[in-house]
Formats: sequence, structure tokens, C-alpha cells
Amino acid sequence: MSELISLGEGSGGRLTADLIASVIKNFAACDGQKSGCEDCTFIEGNLAVTTDGFTVSPRFFPGGDMGHLAVCGATNDLAVRGVRPQWLTLGMIIEEGLPRAELLRLVRSAARQCEALGATLAAGDTKVVPRGACEGMFFNVTALGRAVTSRPLGMNHLRPGDALILSTTPGRHGAVIAALRYGLDRGGLKSDCAALWPLLEQLLPLEGLHCMRDCTRGGLGTVLCEWAEGAGLGMEIEEERLALHPSVAAICDILGFDPLYLASEGCALIACAPTETENALARLRCHPLGRDAALIGTVTAEHAGLAGMKTRLGGFRIVDMPVGEILPRIC
Amino acid sequence: MRGSFLSSAAQTLAELARRTEPVTLMEVCGTHTVSIFRSGLRSLLPENAALLSGPGCPVCVTSQADIDQAIAAASLPNVALCSYGDMIRVPGRGGSLREAAARGGDVRVVMSALDVIPLALREPQREFVFFAVGFETTTPQTALLLQETERLGVGNVSVLVEHKRVLPALELLAQDPQTGVKGFLLPGHVSSIIGLEPYEILAEKYRIACAVGGFEGEQILLALCTLLAQIVHRRPRVVNAYPSGVRCHGNPRARALIDECFMPCDSVWRGLGTIRMSGLKLRAPYDRCDARVKLKLPAAVNTPIPGCRCGEVLRGRLAPPQCALFGKDCTPQEPVGPCMVSSEGSCGAWYRYGRMGGRL
Repeated sequence: MSELISLGEGSGGRLTADLIASVIKNFAACDGQKSGCEDCTFIEGNLAVTTDGFTVSPRFFPGGDMGHLAVCGATNDLAVRGVRPQWLTLGMIIEEGLPRAELLRLVRSAARQCEALGATLAAGDTKVVPRGACEGMFFNVTALGRAVTSRPLGMNHLRPGDALILSTTPGRHGAVIAALRYGLDRGGLKSDCAALWPLLEQLLPLEGLHCMRDCTRGGLGTVLCEWAEGAGLGMEIEEERLALHPSVAAICDILGFDPLYLASEGCALIACAPTETENALARLRCHPLGRDAALIGTVTAEHAGLAGMKTRLGGFRIVDMPVGEILPRIC
Repeated sequence: MRGSFLSSAAQTLAELARRTEPVTLMEVCGTHTVSIFRSGLRSLLPENAALLSGPGCPVCVTSQADIDQAIAAASLPNVALCSYGDMIRVPGRGGSLREAAARGGDVRVVMSALDVIPLALREPQREFVFFAVGFETTTPQTALLLQETERLGVGNVSVLVEHKRVLPALELLAQDPQTGVKGFLLPGHVSSIIGLEPYEILAEKYRIACAVGGFEGEQILLALCTLLAQIVHRRPRVVNAYPSGVRCHGNPRARALIDECFMPCDSVWRGLGTIRMSGLKLRAPYDRCDARVKLKLPAAVNTPIPGCRCGEVLRGRLAPPQCALFGKDCTPQEPVGPCMVSSEGSCGAWYRYGRMGGRL
């Protein structure tokens, strides 16, 4: 391992997992280890907590902004474990010279999203650093809430035969950001950035609901790998069932990106007992965020620890944990 | 209808393969390698047909010394190194460009060579070095950058040229008496520039089957069928299985651009060594923009990696697991050789498939 931290270690996937492991092992007691690195941890009874940093560039993008993203991103980590987001803390690191209007615009956006969720700002912090010490502004959000279901959700509840359902088409946030960064036409595409609680809450009454995860950094592919490794089961999806927004497909084509690894910010992978598939899809499709929900694959006992995809061509490929940051190909 | 076309194409492939001895094919282009991986094509190949990744991925073949020179440029004060994205994680002797950036080097990812000009105009005090890698596909872009730099009189752009030509490497493989490769899946993008004629020597002199393929799984499947058909009928020739993208005579305008700015020279390939006339160097007056001269970059040395047998893998002499480093000292997380560096290079691909056990 290199002596210096590289950008690739922040991109989700294998290097990020190694970085996190090297941090956690220094703590004698860490609930994160106990819960097998799920999105949030139950700290006492049904009280759960998660924390997340936000450094997106550009800060404003079609479909959202960093304030909106910060609240959605942190609360989605609670929502996927059946936890209603109730309290938030907001830490801000602000670079000297940031226009005040921009700061307020981002904060108001975060506040609007908080209000929509019925969550309260419980604590906050501001730090201003000299020009050059951070790029414009960074957010850190900690979210707390109580589980509204007594049924435990998580990777260790995955079972062979479970249906894998994706709540919407994947990769839209990552594709928008890539298009902006590399100066490509995004063809009207918007980030899918959204708070998932109102959508996922609809699924909580289902008896056969086993596990949910939002496909953020590292995308759907990384979630599938983490589930396969975490549960010691196989994950199999079908390319034919995986609908892509045409602009996501086009942006990936130009940059040589694999849409499976592009970040989503309002898209969840859901595993439930096969008998609940239709029920789950019907509930998701009733909500605007779940209109494009689709069954994309199944959990298998075969090839434990690995994720794979049946391709349109009728072949089979591995969906591997990405290593390092996603970079455009040469040709 | 699509399903029936595909299943019959896969069936044709299997039937053709049954009529030959075990056969090794090579896809030359890195983009083919990626597409083959993503479309799951490898899992559809008949058992006696092996598909190796050849020397057509700039990430794999750019020499360690050249990466080290790029790193040296990026580490100079007031110099920004502009690179295509996937070059920046390839390790040289002293780490990768990404690591150089972590140490404070100025590394910028560009989508196109011409993106360098606006950067240079915005920061006239800084020298912008374009790391010009790739084959005939990306060379015309570099030529355009050079011409625009001249035309606009931009003084702070230079070029670190590491462009390569595909054909000399293919000839080297074809001449190798030990090579197992019986058919080349030829690169679609390069062929759209150079056309079909340069490949004819491979079929005529070396009796190797050739097919230019497109980049969709279906198009690659078609090209593989035409390769096997040539092998079965013992009639090697150059087939254009990508007529929608490649014209027989290529793109004369792009070739003229290349000729105006560059001339052939010997070049060092990672894993393959020096190949005669396989590289390009700047012609006057564009040699004014040579970053090596302008920035007085120290000459870098290629140090062989102990135990690495990528050269033999690239020549089709060795299957990746036969290398002692494979999967132990050399993995995608900690790659030693170039074929493991590119995540879809021969060794990288093999590493993954092996883990699927009997499934693939």
C-alpha cells in the first residue's frame, strides 16, 4: 500500500473498503464491525445513526445541489434499514471567499429537504478555512432516527432465491456529474438525487423484505459485490431486465464507463422473498420515485461471494468490485 | 428476432470450432477487450477456442520509462501534465501519475488533445504537457493539437509523444515461431484510419486469419465467426466485419495529418521490448513542441520486472496462470505486470474468470 492516500481510495469499491478497514481496526469498540458495515448502526434499541461527508464538484447540478444531496444521502442510509430519519447534524467546512449567497442557497436547499422529511436539525458546526484548504465547501451530515419496523433488515437476512429489485434506473447521478466534469451534452438527464424514505417506507409492512441498500458511490455493481461477500451468497442479475436511461447509456459509451459502477443518489437495491416480488413492485411503482422499479435478478446459493450478470448476448460476466476511481478510457 | 440471431451465431461459432484443432485467437484492441468482458462473450466461446488480449491497449504497452518521464514532467514546478484518464493509474518505476498527483504533481485528465489549448490559454505562466499515447486512433488528435498550437502561436504547450503503430507489433507476433495465435480480431477504430490494406501481409505472408470487428458484442461475435471460418477453410485473408465503421481505404485525411506531424521511429513496448519503426516522433517544425527537449526531461530507463512474463502472454506463448507471479504477487489491486494493470488485460480478465470456477 502506498504511503500517501490516493484519490482512488475515495471512489467506493475495493480500495475504499480497505481504507475503512484500516481506520476501524484502531478502535477497540466499533459498532460498525458488529453490524458488518451496513449503511447505519443501531446504537441502542431501535435508535440508529449514520454519518456522511459531501464534497461533490460541481456543487449545483441538474436535479439537485450539494445541500439537497447531503440530506438525501445521509438519510437514505437510515431509510434502507427501515429507520425514519428524525434528527440531523450539519457540519460545514467553508473556504474563504465562497460567495455568501451560494452558502445560503445550499443551506436552504438542505433545510427544505429536512422539512419535507419531518426531520429536525439537532446540532451544527461551521469552520472557515483559508483559500485553497478546501474546494469551496464541504458538508458533513449525521442522521439519527428510530426503526419503525421490528423486522431486522440487512445483509445477513439475504436468502438464496430472494428477488433483487431495483427501485429505478441506475447511474443517473454519476452520469450527470461525469457529463458536467468532462464537458459532455447530458441530453436533458438529471441526477436522481432524492430522499428515499417516503418510497422505502411503503415496503416495510412486507413480511418477506430482507435487505435494502442505496446504490451511491460505486453504484449498483459495488452493492451487489458487498452483498455477495457480506452474505456469502451469489448475486445474479440480468442485463435484459436492467433498463438504462438513454443518456446514461450514451455518456457511458463515450467515456467507456460501466453503468453498473456509476453512482445513484435516489436508487435502492431491494431483496425480498420471491413470493413478495409482485407486491413489492406494485408498492414501489405507486410512488413517483419507484415508477421504473424492476425485478433485475436473484440471490443464489451458487458461486458464493461473487456477483454476476447474464448479458444480452446470452453470456455471463462477473460484476467485480471496482478498484480505484472510474476514469475515462483513451479510445 | 435478436435472440435467434445470437443463438445461431453462437452455434455457428461452436460448430466452426469443432472443425478445427484447439485454436488461439487474439483481440488486438483494448476496447474490444472491455466489450468482450462486458458482453460476457468469453463465456460463449467454444472450449477449444481461446481468446487472448494482444498489444493494442495503450495502457498495457506504454513503457515504464515513458510513464516515469510523464511523472517527472508532472512533478516539475509550473508544469501541468495532461493525460487521457486511464493512463494515470498505470505504475511506472516510481509509482503512477495518480500517486504523483498525491505528492503534489499537477496532473489533469483531458478528454481530447485539443482540450489542452484552452487550459494553456487560461494559465499562460504554466507549461502544459500533453501525454500523447495511443495508436493511429488518437494520433490524428495530437497532430491537430500541434497544428492548432502553431496556428494560434500558443507558447506554453508541449507534447510527450509515445504514440505507437499497430502493424509492426502484429508483424512481430506473426513472425514469432512460437506464437500460438491463428487469428487476429483487428481493431475497429485504428482500421477506420489505416484501412484494410496494411494488414494484408499478415494473411498473405504469415497465414494468419484477420477480421476487423466493431465494438458491440454482436459485432465481435460476427468477427470471431469469420475468423474461425477462415481457419477452418485454411483461407486466411482480411475481412471487414465492421463495414458500418471502417472503409476499405481508411481515412486518408487523418493519415495525412499524422504524416505531416510525425515520422516513424523505433519504440519500446512494455512487455515486448523495442520494435523497429513501431513508434512516431515529431517532424520539424513541430519538434519545437517536444516536451523531452523543452523541459530537458531526464532520459528514463526501462527496468525489467523480475519474474514478470507479460511479454510471453502478449505474444500468445503463455497463459496467464502459468506465470509464477499470477494471483500471488500480481493481482488487480497490486499489479506487477502490464497485463494485470489494465483491469481487462489478459491477466486481469483471467484472474476474474478463474474465480467463477466451472461456471465460465
